[in-house]
Amino acid sequence: MFNGAKKYGPKLFDQTMEFNGGANNAYTTKDVTVYTNWFPASAMEVIFDLEGDRISSLSIDPKIVESERGVVLSERSTGLENSPWRQLSEAVEATAFVEHPYHWSVIGYEDDMKNWKQQDLERYFKMYYAPNNCVVVVSGAIKIAEVKRLAEKYLEPIPSQPEPPKITIAEPAQTGERRITLQKEVATPYFMVAYHTPETKNEDYYALNILSAVLSRGQSSRLYSELVNKKQLATSVFTDFGESFNPSLFSIYAVANKEVNPIDLENAIYTEIEKIKNEGISEAELQKIKNQKLMEFYNQVETINGKSNNIGTYEVFFGDYKKMFQAPDNYNKITVADVQNIAKKYFKKSNRTVGVLKTNTED
Amino acid sequence: MKPIAQNLIIIGLFFLTCSNVSAQGYKLPEYTSFKLQNGLTIYLMEQHDVPVISVSAVLPAGAIYDNEKAGLAFLTAKALKHGTKNFSKLKLDEEIDFIGANINTDASKEFVSLSSKFAAKDNDKMLTIIKEIMLDPVFNAEEFEKEKNRLLVGLEQQKESPRAVIGNYFDKLLYGNHVYGNVIQGDISSVGKLTVEDIKSFYKTNYKPNQAAISIVGDFSTKEMKRKLTALFSNWKKSENEIENPALKNIAYSSNNKVLLINKEDAKETTFYIGSSGISRNNPDFVAIEVINTLFGGRFTSMLNDELRVNTGLTYGAGSKFNTLKNGGSFVISTFTATKSTEPAIDKSLEVLNKLHTNGIDEKSLSSAKNYVKGQFPPRYETTNQLANLLTQMFWYNFDATFIENFEKNVDNLNLTKANQIIAQYFPKNNFQFVLVGKAADIKNIAEKYGVVTEVNIKD
Repeated sequence: MFNGAKKYGPKLFDQTMEFNGGANNAYTTKDVTVYTNWFPASAMEVIFDLEGDRISSLSIDPKIVESERGVVLSERSTGLENSPWRQLSEAVEATAFVEHPYHWSVIGYEDDMKNWKQQDLERYFKMYYAPNNCVVVVSGAIKIAEVKRLAEKYLEPIPSQPEPPKITIAEPAQTGERRITLQKEVATPYFMVAYHTPETKNEDYYALNILSAVLSRGQSSRLYSELVNKKQLATSVFTDFGESFNPSLFSIYAVANKEVNPIDLENAIYTEIEKIKNEGISEAELQKIKNQKLMEFYNQVETINGKSNNIGTYEVFFGDYKKMFQAPDNYNKITVADVQNIAKKYFKKSNRTVGVLKTNTED
Repeated sequence: MKPIAQNLIIIGLFFLTCSNVSAQGYKLPEYTSFKLQNGLTIYLMEQHDVPVISVSAVLPAGAIYDNEKAGLAFLTAKALKHGTKNFSKLKLDEEIDFIGANINTDASKEFVSLSSKFAAKDNDKMLTIIKEIMLDPVFNAEEFEKEKNRLLVGLEQQKESPRAVIGNYFDKLLYGNHVYGNVIQGDISSVGKLTVEDIKSFYKTNYKPNQAAISIVGDFSTKEMKRKLTALFSNWKKSENEIENPALKNIAYSSNNKVLLINKEDAKETTFYIGSSGISRNNPDFVAIEVINTLFGGRFTSMLNDELRVNTGLTYGAGSKFNTLKNGGSFVISTFTATKSTEPAIDKSLEVLNKLHTNGIDEKSLSSAKNYVKGQFPPRYETTNQLANLLTQMFWYNFDATFIENFEKNVDNLNLTKANQIIAQYFPKNNFQFVLVGKAADIKNIAEKYGVVTEVNIKD
């Protein structure tokens, strides 16, 4: 997508954008690919022209495909070279999802990368890079009427495409614990446990999000204060419960302390989860998370980048950007009982997949 | 998809626009500064868009003051949060977390910094906590042992990642015995010997108000804030004698090419730096150098990234950077590539640098770099955190608002003649220092091509 279209040929997309004071980047998750441009307001028309050009008439140069193949192989390799987390989380996700496409690694497998054909890329582009499958958010020192004019001029003429195929596979309920072990030369073992949880639009989203913060946000959080500070079983611990279109995972990650058997670390995590299932969380804890959510919101809207990101996230994953403004209310509605109930509902042994990465996998 | 944008570009300071519709043509919001009797400098800047407040403090207590106790400044900075006169560690963590605030303490090479952000309504509570952390830490022995043990394991874990350690190796190679080669987090043997008495004594000697500054930016009234800070910080005793800055000593840069080869037995790629001496932060050509570096290795279409990524697919990203300190600095080219393509990647890097010297740059690319640097300027000073940090940076590196006010003019004034002078003067032609982290058995022969090789194991 950075490598040439009809009007702006190979290299010209970036050269033109940077000449006009703009920069850009992009990322892909299991659900979406997001392109972001940061540019002076005076360059807005050029940016619309560039985006309109590459979305309407991307032309993939065979020579560029070859160098880009090397680039992506290097991206994959350098990720693995510098952190064990991707290796471990990809393995856990592939184990937790057997049928649903969340099974697949986002960046892909080395042999697949070496064998992509130009037509594979073209087919993928045509299917998904269509205006009817895209949301654009613009924030900054701009006038709405001007953005509208430019959108009509540069983006409206791009023909829509047939709806991309719907994902029809629902992952069958997990009926027993799954475990996977991986080998890599590491100082101490890396641990991960993931529970199947619902998609963002589900009513349990807000309570699960609060639970994630209760467990791992700040040094007073349950997992940090117990595992890292008090028991010293881990050197770091964090959780991840992100946005998704389909039911996804609530993941807990920890790095074992020196001389700690990962099974002891694992059991200590379950002890904390059981405490919440049995005794719930306190009112003060809930209020703490609500206070943190408000600060988080301030931080997000303090920058134009944060505004665009946030509005886009609500529009795409929650179905309406206006839900961003309802978020504080939606968090405030959650009670301590709600948090306890969703912990009971999802944090079950039969619903979890456990991954351990360590140096010696023979013992 | 474009790693370079995050990791490698940022050498400069940039700025925010609030009401200006043209994003360029930027103005620093008004601020005031004053000094307390004990010498503490305070900056205040009101920003009322979002009801938050950011605090940034700096003190001359970074790793350059470690002497032989590497890691001491870092652990002292971390231990500030282990409890104070009126708050146990547990209580501190709870109070700060409960209101959604944060306080971070950290050491850099030269200074220790405290940064904090909180809701404007929690102003009084948080200023009191910040004051206690800076002035009344108790350095609890049990918490210290935990922190130290975590650091020791962390130092071992870092060795899993070439990217996490290569900079330390490079600074040691470049700066030799000069304190700028000091490794902030220390090493396993030095940290292992540190005691809670060491940090108490380090704190006592180095945490003084007279060469320190605090800046506060956000939703408050200057008059009231001035009164509060004066009440909170006036009792902080200044040091009897000025602490000598150990970084003032001359840096003995190497006068030949050197290669440090770090063997990582399970490496599948080679991560490398090629560098040399650079500039200090107060160099009068700072902005011009930034523009040229943008062109050479500071953005996606830079000469380095274009050749090593776009044309040849050797790497996911290649870039260059000037790291600036108060009394010196470094220039580095950095990238990574599959083990088998180590040689072409190093050769290409040197070739691109050579091309910069022999061909110079043309009018069109100079305009592009100037536009880019100006265009990317505003978002760097958008938040209260960024602005608070700018003010303490101004204090530390001894520059003022004219840096911001004249930024655009200084960029515009750079013409082709001056640009080519900058290249000749600041971009190295020889005496390259190489650090290669990779599988030594496969790349040692290649390393020898570039200079005298010293080999060490990443686990040592």
